[in-house]
Amino acid sequence: VSRASALDLASAALGVAGADGVEVLLTRDDTALTRFAESRVHQNTARVDGEARVRAVVDGCRVGVVATNDLTPYGVRRAAEAAVEAARLTPRDESFPGLAPAAEYGDAGEDDAATAAASPADRAALVATMLGHLGRDQVAAGTAETGRRELAVVNSDGVAGYHASTRASLTCLVSGSDSTGWAEDTAGAVGALSADDVAARAVGKVEAGRSPRDVEPGDWPVVLEAPAVGTLVEWLCWLAFGGREVVEGRSAISGRFGERVCSPLVTIVDDPLAPGMLGTPFDAEGTPKRALPLVTEGVAVNAAHDRLSARLAGAASTGHALPAPNPEGGFPANPSLRPGDASLDELVAGCERALLVTRFHYTNAVHALSTTLTGMTRDGTFLVEDGRVVGGVRNLRFTQSILGTLSTVEAVGRETALGSEFGGSVRVPALRLGSFHFSSATTF
Amino acid sequence: MLGGVTDEIPAEHLSWAGDALDAAKAAGADYADVRVVEELAESIDVRDDRVEGVSRTSSRGVGIRVLAHGAWGFAATNEPGDLAGTARRAVEIARASAPLRGEPVRLDDTPQPSGRYVTPHGRNPFDVPLAEKIELLLATAAAGREAKGIAYVEATTDAWQRSTVFRSSDGGWFDQRVVQVGGGLRGTALGEGELQVRSWPNSFRGRFTCGGWEDVVAIDLPGHALGTCAEAVALLTAPDLPARETTLLLESSQLALQVHESVGHPTELDRIMGMERAFAGTSFVTVEDRGRLRYGSPLVTILADATTPGALGTFGYDDEGVPAGTAPLVVDGVLEGFLTSRETAALIGDRSNGTARADSWNAIPLIRMNNVSLQPGDAGSLDDLIADTEDGVLLATNRSWSIDDRRVNFQFGCEAAYEIRDGRRGRLYRNPTYAGRTTEFWGACEALGSDWVVWGVPNCGKGQPMQTARVAHGAPTGRFHHVTTGSSS
Repeated sequence: VSRASALDLASAALGVAGADGVEVLLTRDDTALTRFAESRVHQNTARVDGEARVRAVVDGCRVGVVATNDLTPYGVRRAAEAAVEAARLTPRDESFPGLAPAAEYGDAGEDDAATAAASPADRAALVATMLGHLGRDQVAAGTAETGRRELAVVNSDGVAGYHASTRASLTCLVSGSDSTGWAEDTAGAVGALSADDVAARAVGKVEAGRSPRDVEPGDWPVVLEAPAVGTLVEWLCWLAFGGREVVEGRSAISGRFGERVCSPLVTIVDDPLAPGMLGTPFDAEGTPKRALPLVTEGVAVNAAHDRLSARLAGAASTGHALPAPNPEGGFPANPSLRPGDASLDELVAGCERALLVTRFHYTNAVHALSTTLTGMTRDGTFLVEDGRVVGGVRNLRFTQSILGTLSTVEAVGRETALGSEFGGSVRVPALRLGSFHFSSATTF
Repeated sequence: MLGGVTDEIPAEHLSWAGDALDAAKAAGADYADVRVVEELAESIDVRDDRVEGVSRTSSRGVGIRVLAHGAWGFAATNEPGDLAGTARRAVEIARASAPLRGEPVRLDDTPQPSGRYVTPHGRNPFDVPLAEKIELLLATAAAGREAKGIAYVEATTDAWQRSTVFRSSDGGWFDQRVVQVGGGLRGTALGEGELQVRSWPNSFRGRFTCGGWEDVVAIDLPGHALGTCAEAVALLTAPDLPARETTLLLESSQLALQVHESVGHPTELDRIMGMERAFAGTSFVTVEDRGRLRYGSPLVTILADATTPGALGTFGYDDEGVPAGTAPLVVDGVLEGFLTSRETAALIGDRSNGTARADSWNAIPLIRMNNVSLQPGDAGSLDDLIADTEDGVLLATNRSWSIDDRRVNFQFGCEAAYEIRDGRRGRLYRNPTYAGRTTEFWGACEALGSDWVVWGVPNCGKGQPMQTARVAHGAPTGRFHHVTTGSSS
């Protein structure tokens, strides 16, 4: 739409009768995804949708939230009236921290015209390019996705933020007779994607993984490629660096700021404004975002706050509010792990006997306080002996504390990759870890 | 929009459906179906004496699915003024897909639907005053706070109402309204370097049904709050469950999730055919396994039944217009069927068993579980099964789940475990897990109770873009021999 029309539409709610304060979070999405499997396009979708989410405050501390996708001035006003009605029926909440004050915002992400205008034929061409890399007896599955999001936040205390951004991604999973390989590419602009590179990497893993062998579960040195590291970092941010769990003693870093929680080779910063990240310049309450160090050379230094957890902690919001109401509080959704100086080959070369893992599948927290996850390896798991990859292995289940394994970092890769599993973006390099626990094996 | 509901479908939804269908045909669709959907949702979160969130949302729009040039196209909009443009976009997408579609898409010969359906319910949850719901949740939290040492108590309720108008170019139509509710409580205890949670009647926001507010009242959250929270505190000082291979009893809610992950998903025919390979994965099951694969012991019979009264996965028609029905998946331990859609059923010469559902107007129907249920046995109640067990462990209430991309190697964590020795429930253990492989595990099923309960699973993810389905599973208490158990801490 446009900055002016989005802000005008959101502002339609601000004058609603009976409210002491009103906040409107407006989104509008225009996204399309072409999906292929068994080397043919089988699903191909596009959607236009949006939402106006209105938070109304009455009596200073009664709060109601109503959302609608009727993005007309009438629809937004109706939502505001309903939010006031809900707020009136809600008990007083003396801990309500109030609405965010007006602020200036930085810039984040990209708003790429070619991505916004990408056609079904453009996405089909990307798919065709990937399929062109397949060898005999190989089939592929994956996606080509493009989209644009507009985001606006306004409130009755003067907040007025608008942001438009685009996102594009390719994924490719190639299956051979007894091995699979996977690769992805994500960027703010479709022109930055390389379908050739994605497909070639996936095919390369299939070929390197032929005739997989069994290995025994147990504690292994590992080299985790960036997608696997990204999964660990995103889970760590979710489990341990949300302000509310930290202040309430529910996090592995509660009471440990200033302490070493992992290897000094690990520095993690939540940085939605950094070039190449897919962040936004403000959060759902309208608080500006900025770079927030989480772990500096292995030492826990900060947690991510929305206005409520900040109040509980006696701190300021760090710009991590999620759309209201959000009892869980915010978390860092755009973390990056500082790269080192080793190539992937050098990481592998440093191993006497280890496993090289492309990515994980279906990870889940089994013990949040110790940041312990379980999950499977998938689509490219290899045995490393004497510093080189000697072949594929059948997949393994891991059960491992994230901070535990990040305490054994031996080397950090220099190339980073952008991924997105939790809705934000994560930029990380590959890591070589001294110990990673695999709890069982499977048959493929 | 949000102040109340009626059983009438808005007239404008009917006219949008007709206009969208006309537009799709005019744009060149060989087949088209249109869904006009409006969904209301409400969530209330209480923690101790504080209402942490009251949220009501409404979403409505039009999804247009077409077959053109032998390929699928789909476009959806929340802007009813742009139906013609959306229909053209759907056909344009199908045209772009055509060169890469492989064989032309064929649909089965399911007769076109015609009918109306409303899920049975008493008090529509959207007509219940907000204050009444909040009062129930605050009373629950207050009762839980009586547990000495509890850190905090959460109580929640959720409700959805989805109204669908379906029209197809073959003359099919249905109008449907599905009303769903849920409620639950959770006590959190902190101390001794541990965090322990106990939930009731189930984790992840409680128990969910297709029904009215009376279903939430019947759960009696306040009456179960103190005991639930007291056990959360007790878990802080309980030992971790020792690692060993033992006889495992699963409480019905956990066994329901076991059905979900290791039977429901692997029998989805789109997964079996590789259509979900890129994201959620495939299945160890093959089409040729029907009638041959020994999935479990002869005690194991699992049906997909979209007509189960009050279950969260109950409906009248799926989103392709196939009437709700019952389909066998596993009978007496042998694989007998799959969950199918009109496209996948046609590929194996079958007719769809009506499991294609979309989570919104803006998404395509995918094969989704409805109520995929393990049938009860004759081993009596949980207490009967405990009395019949010499040495084992009982695990209750799911905490975590994970399974590989072919649905073989799984690991589940639960909130609590209880030693069973000489037919009696013994000490409490914390952080319990169990793990195994699918057919080995079901093959080790040696007893099923008659204490059958249907558990809603409101958060089943699948597809790209990700869709979240609300499904259900009936299950009794079950007993399995030689299962690997242990601790997650």
